[in-house]
Amino acid sequence: MDFDLAYLMAQGPALMRGLWLTIQVSLLSIVLSVLVGLLGAAARVMEVPVLDPAVRAYVEFIRNTPMLAQLFFIFYGLPGIGLKLSLFWSGVLCLTLWAGAYQVENLRGGLATVGKGLREASYALGLTPWRFFHLVAAPLAIRVALPAMLNTAISLLKNSSYLQAIGLAELTYVAIDRISMDFRTIEMFAAICVIYLALVLVLSFLASRLEFRLNAPFRH
Amino acid sequence: MTLLRHLTRTASIRLALAATALAAGLSAAAAQALPPLPKAIQAAGVLRAGVRCDQPPYGYKDESGNFAGIETDMAIQIAAWAFGAPDKIELTCVTAENRIPQLMGKKVDILLATLGVTPERARVIDFSKPYRWGGSDMLVAKDSPIRKLDDVAGKTVVMLKGSTQAKWFEDTMPKVETLRLNTASDALQALKQGRGEAYTHDAATLVVIAAKDPSLRLVGESFAVTDAAAGLRKNEPEWLTYVDAALARMKADGLYAKWVDKWVPADLRPFYADAFTKPKPTAR
Repeated sequence: MDFDLAYLMAQGPALMRGLWLTIQVSLLSIVLSVLVGLLGAAARVMEVPVLDPAVRAYVEFIRNTPMLAQLFFIFYGLPGIGLKLSLFWSGVLCLTLWAGAYQVENLRGGLATVGKGLREASYALGLTPWRFFHLVAAPLAIRVALPAMLNTAISLLKNSSYLQAIGLAELTYVAIDRISMDFRTIEMFAAICVIYLALVLVLSFLASRLEFRLNAPFRH
Repeated sequence: MTLLRHLTRTASIRLALAATALAAGLSAAAAQALPPLPKAIQAAGVLRAGVRCDQPPYGYKDESGNFAGIETDMAIQIAAWAFGAPDKIELTCVTAENRIPQLMGKKVDILLATLGVTPERARVIDFSKPYRWGGSDMLVAKDSPIRKLDDVAGKTVVMLKGSTQAKWFEDTMPKVETLRLNTASDALQALKQGRGEAYTHDAATLVVIAAKDPSLRLVGESFAVTDAAAGLRKNEPEWLTYVDAALARMKADGLYAKWVDKWVPADLRPFYADAFTKPKPTAR
């Protein structure tokens, strides 16, 4: 079977609808997972009672179980205990929980570089622990953690393709669904690989801009 | 003592002779009935067949995880005829969505996998002569207001990616919302959790589920009736001839009836026996 460009063009609208859903679900999950990461890392670094071990358990659980199993648990398991989320929110919850665990570790690593002296100085100036965290520690930590956080965000974007398994009509779902109807395997997989690659490159570009801006104090 | 030994020896020799004769007779019969095995399959020394693992009674895994079902037995029978031993087989679980790619990617040499004959599929693979037909139906909750096919307008219907039903709904009722999943068990789970109002699939699959689960019922309107056939790669005419001959022999030897008895509970047998023996009915 040779490569059929006309076929691919005809599938354009369907692919674009899938792409749009991939972008929505990924961006939302990236933002939410960074929030989870910040809160989790704060709880761990400040050794908040109860929360610290809970975050630790959460991170271990997510990092040591397959994401597909987590997804099925959320989609097919949670309704059993009365929590039935829509396809879209099941996907967002899964990606957020998954990437959130990695962001906790990324940011914890970043926070570890914020010296004890800074904290003592901040407290001496009368900053509360919370203000110290979001005015001093977090900006410094994010700067250090940014490359690792970007890696996690890219993985999240790529892992959004798992959501085809619960029938969420994102990019990979569209491809597999069309292949199972029309059997144009090469065209469709080539198309979605190119699209994912483009998405990741855009994401990397945005992150490098952010890194540049955050690095302002050290630029000459 | 010597006499006894002599007698037993003679008996076992006779037995061995008889067995050899029987085997020779069998292979002679097979050679008579079936065309020569293509060289490529012969060289592999084993039949690589794709069967379903979630479609009782056609292809599924039993409680201990062994391959089971009528189409699985068909594959084993072909191996037995082709290589003289039923264990010369390598079975692969295929799904509705990946079965044709598995065949085209040469992971398997034959699909006996509830494969309906459609023009789209015929563009990319070859079909054997049909060995049975199969219609589609819908499964709904016992108290569902859905009584006929048209009642699903404006509702969500669960189905499998790449299934005959997915294609049928796309062509015939494009306005119906569909949730397309990968396996029958996913689809059933989604129906039971109310993620769709109906689950459409091959009637043969749904009949088994409905018989086991009192909270569900069949809608009972047959649609998208298609022939089921073995799937083979294009441009393998010798292999196609061989498979057609093997399927014809299964029918002539009454094996389908035997397998229906083996894999289907008594009360459901007529439904499945009809699919192998009666002509295909007409429906939407």
